[in-house]
This record gives sequence, structure tokens and C-alpha cells, in this order.
Amino acid sequence: MKPNDVNKYRHMKANETEQQFLKLAKTVPTDERVPGGFAARMMARVREQHSLETGSADERFLRFARNLPANERVPYAFEKRIMARLRELLTPDPLTHWSRMLWRAVAPCLGVMLLAVLFSAGEPTDTSPIQTAGELESTDFETVMLASFDDLELTW
Amino acid sequence: MQATETAPETDVRTDEELVGLVVGGEVDCFEELIIRYQPRVFGMARKYFRNESDVEDVVQTIFTKTFQKLGSYRGTAPFEHWFMRLSVNTCYDALRRRRNRPEHTISDMLFEDENWQNRLGNIPSDDNPEGLEQARELVHTVLDQVSDRARIVLTLQELEGRSIREIAGITGWSESLVKVQAFRARKEMRTAVERFLMKEKRL
Repeated sequence: MKPNDVNKYRHMKANETEQQFLKLAKTVPTDERVPGGFAARMMARVREQHSLETGSADERFLRFARNLPANERVPYAFEKRIMARLRELLTPDPLTHWSRMLWRAVAPCLGVMLLAVLFSAGEPTDTSPIQTAGELESTDFETVMLASFDDLELTW
Repeated sequence: MQATETAPETDVRTDEELVGLVVGGEVDCFEELIIRYQPRVFGMARKYFRNESDVEDVVQTIFTKTFQKLGSYRGTAPFEHWFMRLSVNTCYDALRRRRNRPEHTISDMLFEDENWQNRLGNIPSDDNPEGLEQARELVHTVLDQVSDRARIVLTLQELEGRSIREIAGITGWSESLVKVQAFRARKEMRTAVERFLMKEKRL
């Protein structure tokens, strides 16, 4: 056997062994066993990390906001503007005053209206004597109104 | 008020004296109160509102309300406390009214060039107004994500460093309610910050 043939044989042998090993390795089932409470432990770590991250961001935000200097700039002549507005409020506007009075009069007017309705509802329904009284009143009214003219006729 | 303490006594009238004069009919004295308090009120209003016109509106409302309610100030507590309470409550009311107008989203505040967390580490100096403005925008965007109550409590407790008792005095809530609100506020803020971080991770 030549030395080259020996190497070739060895190479072949190695390949065969390798393949056999791989075949064997493939037949071994994967060990998927999980240590007890692993998921819980893992989640606790994740939560801890998360709260650390957000907690620190939370604190950093507050520190940031706290240390920002307040902007106390006041617009030019702002106090004059406010005072002008207040003086305007103090000056009585006739229209406002009038509308306020009208609104105030609403309640008493409604009261009078209701009283009038109540009185008229309480009146007797028989109209004949009223008509007579009405007629009498109109006659009296006419006499009084035309009294001066009657006197004129007499003097003429 | 600092102005009252530092200035010579002969020239400066106390807040309470000024209030007395205004209530007595000397309306012009109110201007002195405005000048005295307006920087603080603007500073406070800018913590709650980012839009300058909103800030001016709310400050104007605060001073108008103060003027209208001066008659109800009994003088049992310092005017400053009474006034700050009124100011915070007015801001709270204004916040509730404009709740349905979100101005910026989280995505607007994510930076192309810099990590959000890194940005929190660098507070811009006073000579960098643009940077300061951006930083304030960032704070507003996070605080816009929380409820109005939470925002009030966070601003008073965490940003202004007020005690529970002080917050209770300002807001008119009980101390236990303030504690509960403070706990909830921190929780809400944490969620808001988390949302930022998650969004940044996703991009």
C-alpha cells in the first residue's frame, strides 16, 4: 500500500466515523427539561430591570422639570391692560344696566300675571249681571265725559 | 411677598394695606398688587399652559377674579396665601376647560438626534433660550398626558416642592385626599414616561 492510499483510507475512515457520530447525535432526543420556577425567576428579573429603567426615567424627568428655571417674563405693560379692563368693568354700561333691570323685572311680572290669571279664574261664569254693570259704567263714563259739552249747550 | 420685605418700609405698603385701600374705593392701588405678583403668576401659569395666549388669558382671569373677590378677603391668612389659592384654582378650572385640546403628541417630542433619556440629563443654561423652550415643551408634553388633578398635584408637590399641608391649603382638599392624589399622580406620570420610552424603543 502506497502512503497516499493510506491517507485516503484514513480520510475515508474519518468521514465514516464522523457521519456515524452525527447520526448517533441526531438520534439523541433534545433535553427540554426546564428547572423549576425558571420562568418566574426570569420574569422577576425582567420586571426588576423594567422598573429600574422606567423608575429612573421617572425620577430623571422630575429632576429635569424641577430644575428648569421658571419663565416669569411679563408682557409689556400688562398691568396697564388689566387695570384698563377693571376700569371698564367698573364703568356702568347703560345697556347692561337696562338689560339687568329687565331681567330683574321678569319675576315680579310673572307673579302679577299669575295673580291676574288666578283672579280671572275665580270670577263667576254667568255674564249677564256683569254686562248690565258694564253698560251702566259706560253710560256713567259718557255722561261724565260729555258733561262739559252739555254745559256749553246750556250757556249758548 | 419678597418685594414687601426687601424694599424700605417707608415707601412700601403691605399687601393687606393695599387690599384695604382697594376695597375702600382706591382702585388704582390694585395696580401695585398686580406689579408685585405678576411675575410669579406668569411663572405659575406657564407651568400649566404652553400657549402664550392661554397664559395671558388665565393671568388676566386671575387678576380680574382677585379684584372682584377682594371684598371677601377677611385678612385671617396672609393675602399671598389667599391669592395663590385663588390662582391655582383658576388654573385648575382653565385646565379642565381646555382638556379636549391636545396640542402636541408624544411623537412630536421624540428627538432625531438625541435619546430621550439623554435629553433629560442636560438642562439647558439660561443663555440658551431655544434649548430652554424645547425643554419646557418636553415637560409640557409629558404632563399633558396626565389628568388635571394629577398635574396640579405634581406641579405643586414635585416641581414647586410644597408640602402636603400646603397643597391642602391651596387646593382646598383634605390632606388625605392630597396624599391619594399625589400617589395617583406619580403613577400616571410613570405611565406617561413609560409610554415615551416604549415609543422611542419602537422607532
